[in-house]
Amino acid sequence: MTNRISLKIVGASGQGIDSMGEVVAKSLKRSGYCVFGYREYPSLIKGGHASYQLDVSNEYIGSTETKVNLVLALNHHGIVNNLKDLKSGGILIHSTAGWKMDKASQELIVKESLKIICLPIEEILKKLKAKSILANVIQTSFVWAILGQSQEMLTDVVCARFAKKKDLLELNRKCIEEGFSLKQQHAELSIPMAKPDPKRWKDQLLITGSKAMGLGAVAAGMRVYIGYPMTPSSPLLTYIAAIQNKTGVAVKQAEDEITAAQMASGAMLAGTRAMTATSGGGFDLMGETVSLNALIENPAVFVLAQRPGPATGLPTWTAQADLLMAVGMAHGEFPRSVIAVSESSDAFHLMDDAFNIAEEYQIPVIVMTDKQIAEALYTQEPYDMKSIEIRRGKLVTDPDELAKLKSTDRYDPNAKDGISARWLPGSKAATFCSQGDEHNAEGSDNESSANAIAQMEKRMRKGDALLRSLPEPELWIVENGKRKMVTDDPDIDVLLIGWGSTKPVVLDVLKNQKPETRNQKLAYLHFSHLWPLKTARFETLAKKAKKIIAVEGNFQGQLAMLLRQQTSIEIKDKILKYDGRPFFVDELQLRIQSCIDDKKPVTRNQ
Amino acid sequence: MPIPLDTTGPTMKDFWSPVMCTWCEGCGDYGIWTAVKQALVELKIAPWQTLLCYDVGCHGNGSDKIAGYRFHGLHGRVIPFAAGAKVANPTLPVLAFGGDGATFSEGVGHVVHAVRSHYPIVFVLHNNGNYGLTTGQASALTPQNQPMNSAPNGMPEATINSMDFIFSLEPTFVARGFSGDIKHMTYILKEAIRHRGFAFVDMLQACPTYNKFATHKMLLEKCYRVEDEKYDPSDIVKARMLAIDTEKRIATGVLFKREDIPNFNERLVPRQGRKTRPIDEVEKFDVSGLMEELR
Repeated sequence: MTNRISLKIVGASGQGIDSMGEVVAKSLKRSGYCVFGYREYPSLIKGGHASYQLDVSNEYIGSTETKVNLVLALNHHGIVNNLKDLKSGGILIHSTAGWKMDKASQELIVKESLKIICLPIEEILKKLKAKSILANVIQTSFVWAILGQSQEMLTDVVCARFAKKKDLLELNRKCIEEGFSLKQQHAELSIPMAKPDPKRWKDQLLITGSKAMGLGAVAAGMRVYIGYPMTPSSPLLTYIAAIQNKTGVAVKQAEDEITAAQMASGAMLAGTRAMTATSGGGFDLMGETVSLNALIENPAVFVLAQRPGPATGLPTWTAQADLLMAVGMAHGEFPRSVIAVSESSDAFHLMDDAFNIAEEYQIPVIVMTDKQIAEALYTQEPYDMKSIEIRRGKLVTDPDELAKLKSTDRYDPNAKDGISARWLPGSKAATFCSQGDEHNAEGSDNESSANAIAQMEKRMRKGDALLRSLPEPELWIVENGKRKMVTDDPDIDVLLIGWGSTKPVVLDVLKNQKPETRNQKLAYLHFSHLWPLKTARFETLAKKAKKIIAVEGNFQGQLAMLLRQQTSIEIKDKILKYDGRPFFVDELQLRIQSCIDDKKPVTRNQ
Repeated sequence: MPIPLDTTGPTMKDFWSPVMCTWCEGCGDYGIWTAVKQALVELKIAPWQTLLCYDVGCHGNGSDKIAGYRFHGLHGRVIPFAAGAKVANPTLPVLAFGGDGATFSEGVGHVVHAVRSHYPIVFVLHNNGNYGLTTGQASALTPQNQPMNSAPNGMPEATINSMDFIFSLEPTFVARGFSGDIKHMTYILKEAIRHRGFAFVDMLQACPTYNKFATHKMLLEKCYRVEDEKYDPSDIVKARMLAIDTEKRIATGVLFKREDIPNFNERLVPRQGRKTRPIDEVEKFDVSGLMEELR
């Protein structure tokens, strides 16, 4: 069993919840813990009820619990809304003087032995002549003391944050001291933490999935980024823009998603690596451009950051509901690559794959993420630059080779695997037209039957070649309490299937498997490449498993639908979720167990 | 002794395409097509040294009737594609072509933002006052009440005054040509290609099949060259007045230009002072320093 605790800071959007969460996360990581941060917030700038939850362990975790050990409520709404989020024996901290609990709350407090602490924040602020935003520092410090952590560590992290504002430094230091002295009056409060492992966690990164993707794209040689704001793709635009003076990447905020897609495609045609990102609604608008890139055989990379739809849906919440859209979008038949990242590690490492596939196969590539990945805070091993590869496929740049090219080489229908030579405007060579009408080998319009057949088959052969080159999905098991990716196909009782942000939470569940159920061998099959879909391993494992369960953040079980389409194997058991929330580790554990115990197929049990 | 011939630049022959033209007899596209080739030849830009981007429409059917690196894209979307190519390769001359149908309906937002962004590309408006390729429907530039294929009673919508609209965006280069005057269009295109930022070139052209209200004959009678009348193209107010006043005469030529405004690429702070172009920089980029900030 993983030894984990969790804290939740709640209040109004704009009260500084995120920066408090980040300070605590950083301090915990430096003290030797793995931290996983999860944000919930409504679609508005100020006000509304928001939260930042930190799950903490000395082992790797990538998920959130539904119940927490401590709630820090920055306003009285937090007392009302989040008291029920506490585990038995949990602590609620607030500073709403004179707050009277209603009867139901009082009963809950008694039943669950909850501890309620009201901090005299106003008095302390008055004493220090400090602005109200510094309440956050006092409260953070108090929580930090409850966790039994060192005052120096928190002081270091907070002071580093205010290094540029010297006048605030001293005041921050005083607030931290006040927090610790308040704790001395509450000796009874403590949250036992697992033994820290500073060697393992101290130097790791704290990174959101958006930043991981941004770094991955930059590392992979992306030199132009065109964006248009839409949650949850906006943090990627913001990050790439924020680091532009260090990276030299040309960043453009376009007038709409169609422009973003067109500009990124034009930049790719000219020969750089360019990218755009949006969410479902914006991606609808990009559909025609995806189709255009397919016909002109232009490499293109689109990031699709999912949130619940249809329409504006739940703008600041999460979903895995655009898989069928990514696989099926846009008019005409054409090969494409659909990749899904799952957490901060592959959000970085799949980006060079995406660009390499785009350039090697000269096709549109759709990289899927979601709000959970985009905004969650992961503890992440620093990325290894050596793992980055840049492969540009049949791009011709050598002057001697360029001189040998004929215009008809560009879309040569007889090219091996349908992948023909590509060269760039401005190259001293025979020229061609990147033609959006059906075209012959040099890109001139051609509406003949023979040509239409030859060119369609040429393009579709690229999809076949891509399918052959892709890896089979990853199979994960837990052995001796450790998660492990295996290359063979062992005998298993229960095969869990998933993609995207499902992975880290399922793996946390596998690690938590209760002793009494350990006779059941569970394994998780994770799909990073969703299209084309490699199915041989799934078919082998499906024969071995007594039960197959799809775990997806959507209503229909979209991966299960795709697998059935490609293999005729129907996955009857599905654990689905479509309320905008990610799977929580304790919730998913219960749902998987009840699915295993129950003889009847389960779908959509909330 | 014979004088040696100048063989340093490309010739019209280099822009020849084996694909036969498919435009109607008398179509203004022939003249614009010829002037584009002529302008490139005179500027010594060889086919391999340029990117010609075509929207969808009759003019776009010319994408395979000329040599050079070309792109034939989606209806209304040519400007952002061309701009993206130019951001990636700022040394490549990029020309974009679009009709009045696409440009002032689906693509009108792109025009606004292209002027504002000041991308260093040339945009040539093939302006024949209607949707030719889809058989003569009204465009946003067709005169109101003119009976067209989609509106036998005449279009109920008001007409966009395209020149007034463009000038309202504070452009840095506006020209107008007439498809019957190849020599003058060549001059205009050369000026546009040399321009520092976004060059808007309105080419008035005949559509002998569907446009019976602004015919070649009518354009021939009304168009005149501003350069013949001691014109100063630096005054935006006068240029705008001249451009929109087409009642009796239609002014053609470079109507307005200024070269003092930095273009989009020049304004990108992280690109300033770099000798390489984004297309030269596709290689592993070490993000170790950026990772440090996340520890």
